[in-house]
Amino acid sequence: MTMHSITVTVNGGRERLDVPSNMTLLQLLREKLALTGTKNGCSAGECGACTILMNDEPVNSCMVLAVEADGAEIVTVEGLADDGQLTPLQEAFVEHNAVQCGFCTPGVLISAHALLKRNPHPTEEEIKLALVGNLCRCTGYLRIIQAVQTAAGRVSQQAGLPRPASGGVGAASASISQDKGGA
Amino acid sequence: MLARPGLPSFDYVRASALYEVPRLLEEHGEAARLLMGGTDLFVRMRDGFVSPQILVDVKHLPSMRDVSYDEQTGLTIGAATTMNEVARHPDVQAHYPLLAEAASSVASYQLRNRATLGGNLCNGSPAADTAPATLVLGGRIVLYRPTGEREIPADEFFLGPGATAMQAGELMTAIRFPILPPGSAGKYLKLGRNKAGDLAIAGVAVFGFPDGTASGYRFRIGLASVAPVPLRAREAEEVLAASPPGEETFALAAERAMEAASPIDDVRASAAYRKAMVRALTLRGLREIWRQLS
Amino acid sequence: MTVSKATFTSDPVGKSVPRVDMYDKLTGIALFTDDIQFGPNLYYARLARSPHAHALIKQIDVSKALEVPGVKAVVTGKDAPELVGMYLVDRPVLAGERVRYFGEPVAGVIATSEALAEEATRLVKVEYEELPAVFGPMESIQPDAPLLHPDLGEYKVASFIFPEPGTNISEHFKLRKGDVESAWPRCAAIVEGTFRLPQIQHVPLEPHVSVALWEPSGQVTLWTSTQSPHAQRDLIAQSIHIPHGNLRVVSPYVGGGFGGKAGVTMEACAVVLARAVKGHPVKLRLTREEEFVGTTMRQSLVAHTKIGCDAEGNLLAMETQYYFGGGAYNDYGVNIARAAGYSCTGPYDIPNVKGDSCSVYTNLPIGGPMRGFGMPEIHWGIEQIMDQLAEKIGMDPAEFRRRNCVKTDDTILTSMKMPAIDLVACIDKVTEAINWGQEDKPSAPHKKRGQGIAIMWKAPAMPPNPGSSAVVRFNEDATLNVEIGAQELGQGAFTVAAQMAAQALGVPYEWVRVSAPVDTKYSPYEWQTVASRITWSMGNAVKAAAEDARRQILEIVAEHWGEDPNDLDIKNGKVISYKSEQEQPLQNMVIYGLPNEDFEGWKGGPIIGRGMFMLTYVTNLDFETGQGTRAVAHYTVGAQAVDLEVDTETGQVEILKIASVYDVGKAINPDLVLTQIEGGAVHGMSSAFEALRFDEKGQPLNRSLVDYRIVTAVDVPKEIHGDFVETPLEDGPWGARGVGEHVMVQTAPAIANAINDALGIRFNDLPLSAEKIFLALEEQKQEET
Repeated sequence: MTMHSITVTVNGGRERLDVPSNMTLLQLLREKLALTGTKNGCSAGECGACTILMNDEPVNSCMVLAVEADGAEIVTVEGLADDGQLTPLQEAFVEHNAVQCGFCTPGVLISAHALLKRNPHPTEEEIKLALVGNLCRCTGYLRIIQAVQTAAGRVSQQAGLPRPASGGVGAASASISQDKGGA
Repeated sequence: MLARPGLPSFDYVRASALYEVPRLLEEHGEAARLLMGGTDLFVRMRDGFVSPQILVDVKHLPSMRDVSYDEQTGLTIGAATTMNEVARHPDVQAHYPLLAEAASSVASYQLRNRATLGGNLCNGSPAADTAPATLVLGGRIVLYRPTGEREIPADEFFLGPGATAMQAGELMTAIRFPILPPGSAGKYLKLGRNKAGDLAIAGVAVFGFPDGTASGYRFRIGLASVAPVPLRAREAEEVLAASPPGEETFALAAERAMEAASPIDDVRASAAYRKAMVRALTLRGLREIWRQLS
Repeated sequence: MTVSKATFTSDPVGKSVPRVDMYDKLTGIALFTDDIQFGPNLYYARLARSPHAHALIKQIDVSKALEVPGVKAVVTGKDAPELVGMYLVDRPVLAGERVRYFGEPVAGVIATSEALAEEATRLVKVEYEELPAVFGPMESIQPDAPLLHPDLGEYKVASFIFPEPGTNISEHFKLRKGDVESAWPRCAAIVEGTFRLPQIQHVPLEPHVSVALWEPSGQVTLWTSTQSPHAQRDLIAQSIHIPHGNLRVVSPYVGGGFGGKAGVTMEACAVVLARAVKGHPVKLRLTREEEFVGTTMRQSLVAHTKIGCDAEGNLLAMETQYYFGGGAYNDYGVNIARAAGYSCTGPYDIPNVKGDSCSVYTNLPIGGPMRGFGMPEIHWGIEQIMDQLAEKIGMDPAEFRRRNCVKTDDTILTSMKMPAIDLVACIDKVTEAINWGQEDKPSAPHKKRGQGIAIMWKAPAMPPNPGSSAVVRFNEDATLNVEIGAQELGQGAFTVAAQMAAQALGVPYEWVRVSAPVDTKYSPYEWQTVASRITWSMGNAVKAAAEDARRQILEIVAEHWGEDPNDLDIKNGKVISYKSEQEQPLQNMVIYGLPNEDFEGWKGGPIIGRGMFMLTYVTNLDFETGQGTRAVAHYTVGAQAVDLEVDTETGQVEILKIASVYDVGKAINPDLVLTQIEGGAVHGMSSAFEALRFDEKGQPLNRSLVDYRIVTAVDVPKEIHGDFVETPLEDGPWGARGVGEHVMVQTAPAIANAINDALGIRFNDLPLSAEKIFLALEEQKQEET
């Protein structure tokens, strides 16, 4: 089997690697670069746990050959937070308790991050469609959708963008008020 | 046998010039396969359904990812254009919105960044979401061979499940769409087990425009996932050309469309349900585009 | 590490504090088993699996596999004849004289890479002699059915499980209370029905994975994604004859369990393979396709139920038979049949009950625990047949349930008294939340709208003596480490452990660190993270450990101040005296103690608190009647109501609202309880549409995510209204009771009841599907014409 010498930029750092033809980008990230934040849930492009950004677009890294990523810019979940500081999107996940087991989370964050870049004011429906390729078995998705809505509001606020006409629909309601931490 | 954990061994070759492709295909015969998006191919390789020794990546050949529109000649989409690229291209959205809608319905956003229009069509799957739209919009498949280029109309392209009119050594380079009749409207309706993201249990593309028929309109109906090939529902189209548009005509056309379908029972749905859904989706599609046409 | 903007949360029990594992999971730092780096010494294993549902193994030829360069060993059942199992030790690690399901492992290949191991498994040649197979429980109990386990009488079995050797019945639980025969004539209305459901799978996002290292010294380490590190150590130690002290199980974060990572599944295989290549860690990880074949599934069920009530609508009698399709091995499934037996009435007060609950061997994938442990399976039928009886007697279904549901102090079917709960309050809240009885109009003329309600109960299904223990250990800066054996599966176990430790000690929540990963070498014993028992049982142990540490601290400081410890307290990390108003920060003294006056000696030293909790009051049940003093520790109850629309042109169901309310005793972390309720409602909804399908030879037809569909982001209900009531559990920490499984138990029948309300069509068999609903509507149209 042929080996290929490729150059790929991962989370801002350039790497030169020798990869066999049949290695996937997912295997390259996890096994060659020890970037284990990106997960293997199915190896078939169905679950989305392996989602990363390739040249700014979310793809299932299990469906991309490492050699196909030659020359590409890759961003994984490890590359989202800025020097340990959570992004507004990640903060929103904290506030909404949108993480349980955490296995789907890296892929979800990448998909959501990309959504907000291309569509700063997504509707609830647009968020759901953007996340249809990210399976989650724990949360039931509602907190994730709410977190993305909250993040959308904040990111656009930070960027000085005008607020959208509709505030976004909250999908889950609770009849008790909660004390979300704090002394 | 269950699927492998990873891809089996093969050699990856990136074609850098068109003429290399038929040469490689001839040299390796059955052992070589063309690689576009890979979203079907890699799954089938893991499952052991195909075992190519050579994958020839054709995505980087000139024009394979170009989309161009000309007011006289129409739309040309490079075969390696991804579904998302098709769906968001301003010329596709402006002039061929049905195609954009069909491309958007495939799988997930992530997969649409890899899956290509050419790949979707050349797999010859009866369930290909872009096939009904390609059929009703009069798409033509452009195939390259060493002796030159040839074009096949989409409705001569699909021959059977997994079988197309592509010959050994040929490469699909583009899909061309003619300028559409003025005042047209189209809709792609898809039913799956999930509200989105699934393969189609039944897919119906409905396309209509004012024309010199008895009814004053011409409709085209394309069906996916309900026959050995994606196909046009011609009897339904004849009904719509002959009788005045309205609920009664649409219901009759939907019946004819249902009769044109010859689905199978499989793990996703029964033939009976698929047929009934052809009728239901055709009726909905016709009502929807009639709203736009009238 | 917490990401709270607050740095100081006192009295965190009852507050929705941020989770302790958020930061790691959001940044990709959180380690799961496949993320651990083992270095170049690591080997990989793949399993050769049976293509037959039932066959004798005549011969296995591994010679070609061994010739592949890079292959280090091939192990078959001959090398690994041991049996494993949770309650019934019936399962070979690698198939022995026969295979009993498609996909059963027959050989393990160990190689330097996963790809090489996979190629070599395809070179293992097995000669089979096919045997007749049986796939449904009703077929399997017939006298002429093929016998799957001729040695059933010789298997080690727990004292409370009763297999029937010479048959395919691995457990038969009998419940006899009152006299149903005399009750039927007194009934004003009787309804009978049969309800069926197929096997379904947990689909955790993280597939099963284990890495085992068998050192030449005899020390064995197992890194694995598991809900049960200590139970796995126990079962594997016993089966593979490793002294407990030599077997160490380490489990990092678990990417979803739902019961599928409880007991022992493929982990014993990893250990047995590691034994063949001593000194090398061996990684065995399942593909997603193998998840649908080679791990455990929820059992299928055929339920025949008959119920009757008097003219006022009071339930008088129930007769029910449950036949669980347990798959090829029932080592865990037997307890599911038992649990279904001693709770067979569902959450109802019925004076006369005759129940028989059996688990039955079938040539299908292994049946095992899945969220709800028999309760979702039996509530599918119970909650529908209750609706049918309510309809027959002319009562509103919610009212029927208010009248008949279990209440505090009721004598339930096993003769135990129902501990304090408030199911009526749950019913009231859900009916209010969906405007029960006031049906809003459907959103389009071709849609029909309906409402449905379902209630549930579940007790933790455990042996009578499952223990929890905990240790609390300080650092110099008075931050502390809480050591537990409970697993963080996503449910929030680590977070509530930290909350409870902080509360019981009197330190801020942010000072607490949960020692992870759970490692049986260091972590105190925890039976399993199952049964929704952790907040309650581990919580009690953590509370006891924290209180133990607190006691020690107060004694030292009291002596130091010459005061009575009863006048002292710990608040916000400081010891305070209510009498003298002195203060002593915990920093340093929790390690170094306190100096006497003029440094004439010291008192105190490193503080370690220890605690444990174990049930002492659960008793035996009579074999013939299922009666006993105390069948279970307690029950959690809850109600769900569903408002949905059916598109009559396609059969598609749109869930508009699920209202879901549970009596949790005390919500240690209210928002985490709500996240369980929401996640459970969606899981429950998905379970109504899921099914594993097999062909006539027992081969799975939908063994990948392409064709085993689960709910995605676009399918979620428009709204989920989650809430809870708090009737304290007598021996719960701050009154807390578990809720992790209960939240999905009755969603499927609630949906079925709502569909019946909308369409007048009842579906007795799962799965639901748009196709099934559409075709039933067509049939209904035909019958009406």
